[in-house]
Amino acid sequence: MLLEEKYAVVSCIVIRLIVSLLFPSLQAQLDKSVELSTPMSSYRSLTEGIFLLRNGFPLYHGGVVHHPPLLVAFMSLFEPQCLVALLYALTDGLISYQLMCMARCFPGLEMPSWLPGALYALNPLALLSCVSQSSVIFANAFTSTAILCALKGNLLSFATALGIASYLSPYQSLLLIPSLYVLSRENNQRTKAALAVLSVFIVLLQLSSAVTGGSWEFLQATYWSQMNFEKLFPNLGLWWYFFIEMFDMFIPFFKAAFNLFVISFILPFSIRFQRQPFYALVLCIGWITLTKPYPTLGDAGFFFSFLPFFKPLFGYMRCPLLSVLLCIHAIILSPIFYHLWVDLGSGNSNFFYAISLVYALALGFVLIDLCWSMLRIEFDGGRPNYNLKFTPTNPKPFLGELVNKPIVVTLKFNKTQYKGNLISTDNYFNLQLSEAEEVVDGKNKGKVGDIFIRCNNVLWIGEDLSAKEQHQQKPTTSDDTPTTTD
Amino acid sequence: MALIEQLQRRVVEMGLVPKIIALLPLVSMMCAMISSLWLAILPIEGQFRRTYISENALMPSQAYSYFRETEWNILRGYRSQIEHFDTISNTERNKQMTEWLRDFGAKTAIYNDDEFGDSLYGILHAERGDGTEAILLAVPWHNAEGEFNVGGASLGISLSKFFSRWPVWSKNIIVVFSENPDVALRSWVQAYHTSLDLTGGSIEAAIVLDYPGSNDYFDHVEISYGGLNGELPNLDLVNIAVSITEHEGVQVSLHGIEPGFINDESYWSRLKILVRGIFNNAFAGLESLHGNEAFSGWRIQSVTLKAHGKEGGNNDITTFGRIPEAMFRSINNLLEKFHQSYFFYMLVAPRYFVSISSYLPATVVLSASFALASLNSLLNNQYNTLSFFSHYNLMAVLFWLISMLLSFIFSQLFLYVPSMSLLVIFILAMVMIPLAAGRLWTITEPLSYRLQMYAFFYMSLVITSLMMVNFALAFVIGILAFPMTVVGTQRNLTLKKCVLLVISNPLVSFFLIKPHPQLLQKLIFAWQQLGCWSWFVLCLGWLPSWILVALSACSGTQFHTVGTTKKEQ
Repeated sequence: MLLEEKYAVVSCIVIRLIVSLLFPSLQAQLDKSVELSTPMSSYRSLTEGIFLLRNGFPLYHGGVVHHPPLLVAFMSLFEPQCLVALLYALTDGLISYQLMCMARCFPGLEMPSWLPGALYALNPLALLSCVSQSSVIFANAFTSTAILCALKGNLLSFATALGIASYLSPYQSLLLIPSLYVLSRENNQRTKAALAVLSVFIVLLQLSSAVTGGSWEFLQATYWSQMNFEKLFPNLGLWWYFFIEMFDMFIPFFKAAFNLFVISFILPFSIRFQRQPFYALVLCIGWITLTKPYPTLGDAGFFFSFLPFFKPLFGYMRCPLLSVLLCIHAIILSPIFYHLWVDLGSGNSNFFYAISLVYALALGFVLIDLCWSMLRIEFDGGRPNYNLKFTPTNPKPFLGELVNKPIVVTLKFNKTQYKGNLISTDNYFNLQLSEAEEVVDGKNKGKVGDIFIRCNNVLWIGEDLSAKEQHQQKPTTSDDTPTTTD
Repeated sequence: MALIEQLQRRVVEMGLVPKIIALLPLVSMMCAMISSLWLAILPIEGQFRRTYISENALMPSQAYSYFRETEWNILRGYRSQIEHFDTISNTERNKQMTEWLRDFGAKTAIYNDDEFGDSLYGILHAERGDGTEAILLAVPWHNAEGEFNVGGASLGISLSKFFSRWPVWSKNIIVVFSENPDVALRSWVQAYHTSLDLTGGSIEAAIVLDYPGSNDYFDHVEISYGGLNGELPNLDLVNIAVSITEHEGVQVSLHGIEPGFINDESYWSRLKILVRGIFNNAFAGLESLHGNEAFSGWRIQSVTLKAHGKEGGNNDITTFGRIPEAMFRSINNLLEKFHQSYFFYMLVAPRYFVSISSYLPATVVLSASFALASLNSLLNNQYNTLSFFSHYNLMAVLFWLISMLLSFIFSQLFLYVPSMSLLVIFILAMVMIPLAAGRLWTITEPLSYRLQMYAFFYMSLVITSLMMVNFALAFVIGILAFPMTVVGTQRNLTLKKCVLLVISNPLVSFFLIKPHPQLLQKLIFAWQQLGCWSWFVLCLGWLPSWILVALSACSGTQFHTVGTTKKEQ
């Protein structure tokens, strides 16, 4: 562990502890904000659960507690408030440490390994979420543990961590699919991992049932109420507004559709980016943050803390400024609009929903931009080439400009290219070349002199930049034109 | 999307991007100008709309008003007694009033407030309601100008007596006699929602009566509607106030502008009302309050009715009483809270208004102008290629955090020591910053650009976040702070830029707009007693940006060395 990494972890913990202890009333205030806490993750309902558990009341009868029973049992071990604050700060410190360990797994990034950890320590969303003591932090910590273990190939701890993460937050279980691609294929590792995650999850459920006195009620109160969106509370997500005014008979259909929406992009991301499985995982985390029923800013903060890993792609991003501005404005305006709606009564729910849509738009822009950049760098063969443009060109004026210039003509077959001066062309894009050379599969086959190429054989035409800059062999991709005429 | 991409490609092809970037300062200034012009356009015919009663249940002036000649005698009787109240103490006044209120069956209680004076209130329970909602009639003993509110108090008691005889009420009626229309009334409202024992349900609407003097006749009625922190009552309440007043044959004035001028229906009168409205709203809490402001923040729609013109008026005092009577009848009809009509509007005449969709672009454009200025500081110099993690950028963020912290300490300091002379010292010290720069310390050029980038971006964020909550304040602050963006960074500060910098200092410019020797005390007082956060908007929203701009206005002479080290890197 480098010195800077130690600094990052320590500062992460210290900042959170200081904020929690200096402003003791901040926790309750943040816990009341809809952006940072939902009925499923709020500390208020967690303390309610702890109280019920300690006094031997059934946990889930009141309909207030939606935290998994083992979490409630675990949290009931921590008595004074400062100890709880310490636990949350340490958990965040762990996430920051794990981010740095992940950075060390990617030496090719040319990024100091302490950077993601330090950014996480300073990430205001993660900080506020930690201070609000929302329980998403535990799911996040186990998710990051799972990712780290998957990267290191540590099967057993991966399965345990992901099993616990899915136990804490059901939508996290979707991350199993992309994370399987991180694991190697050898000796059925993937099958083993999937089975192990499943068995950890089942063991946890059994334990929970034992804790709550042998009943399975908790399944209904924790997972089903999340997937079924039973608590109609405003939040930053896309769901709540739809279900405010809807005919009863349509509600199950739309709830199913929304759930499918969450799941729908996980498999495509995982399959398309299976050669960059870590990035597929991050995209999936982002997608779940965007579409799950009870998202908080803590989830978004966790997702954003993976963005430094995309450093080589930043040059490809098409609207980073727009996404950043949208995000900042949405995060600042959402509490204001909520205040106008709920406290002052001069605004209404549309205000808040509008701003949560802006937030969704910002997240969407980030995801789209990341996908696009990953596809682009794949196209460029892993080496960034920011100057390459994909603007379509009109073929006729393009060819007109190339007359009397050295050009490259690539044929559709035999990997054959002809390089020579373009003498003339016609309306069918038949080509007449002088001083032509034949190149097959990159090997020069010698001069062929004046030739005439029939249009239908041509795959693409471009200016011969290698003839221009004799000393430097450059790819001629800058002006790919679809000038075939069939 | 395809269309946008096409457009973007065209823009790139035509090489417009570098041109636009080079023109950013101009574009930013254009935006600020458009923003002010936008408001000037609003009073033009066709830009505003005629008000209408949106909630059908209100039916203003549909029922006959009975507060007429028979009540006049009762009113005179009370008035002849109240005329002498001026000289007696608040306690004795309240005692006498309590007796009168109890005479006709009102429950009364006195809210003891040692700091601002006791308030007496009585509740008439609704015969037809469930007692969960109430309409409120407030009468401050002294009005905003400090005059003794004889007519208002007499109307308050005689109207209560009059209301008590009627079986039509579906909402409780609360009548409050407070010492003054601002702090005493506001602290009563606060107590009503927190600690008082005798309550009458949630207050749907409040009408404050202001009729100073014991004259029988008055000329016209001024309706005040602007609340604190940019809050406005529902437009429906203002509409019924205006329509009932005019129905009674009384002319309406707004923001202290004479009805004669308003009735011109000219562009200038509308512009004047609009501008006065913006200023009154932006500086609410700094002027003496009319009374309706006391209800801000509690979801109570409120207006103040003030009688003007002691001499030569031809409307008698019962006419003035019929206005709250008819308004009470209207509000009494409501089945729901006020929600139908606009909460975000600006009046350009008693019967004309501009809705939010028409006026909001003014601040949006203003915020955009700051954002563009920020972009200009980022792009329009040779340091635009510096990475986000460069030393300068991190330093700039650090500077911003420090200036936030300093501003916070500054704001807290004056809460405890509201001394004007200390403020003057601070202002002088702040004005010295740009002059001292270059002598005491030097800020390198790349850093100064970054500082300004963050300053303007923060300012833009502040305006954006304020514009829905308090449009007027956002707009005024944006316009007053705009000179900051043209200061720029240079090695030698010219006098002109120095002046621009000084007048864009939050406290200086506020003082220039509202020259008052007690301005600081008023700002602090507005925060502490009325909960009006203009002081914090100035200190935490505007001052940090100003400090950053002041620091960076005169960048160091290390320009060349920095340039070369950068190249070496």
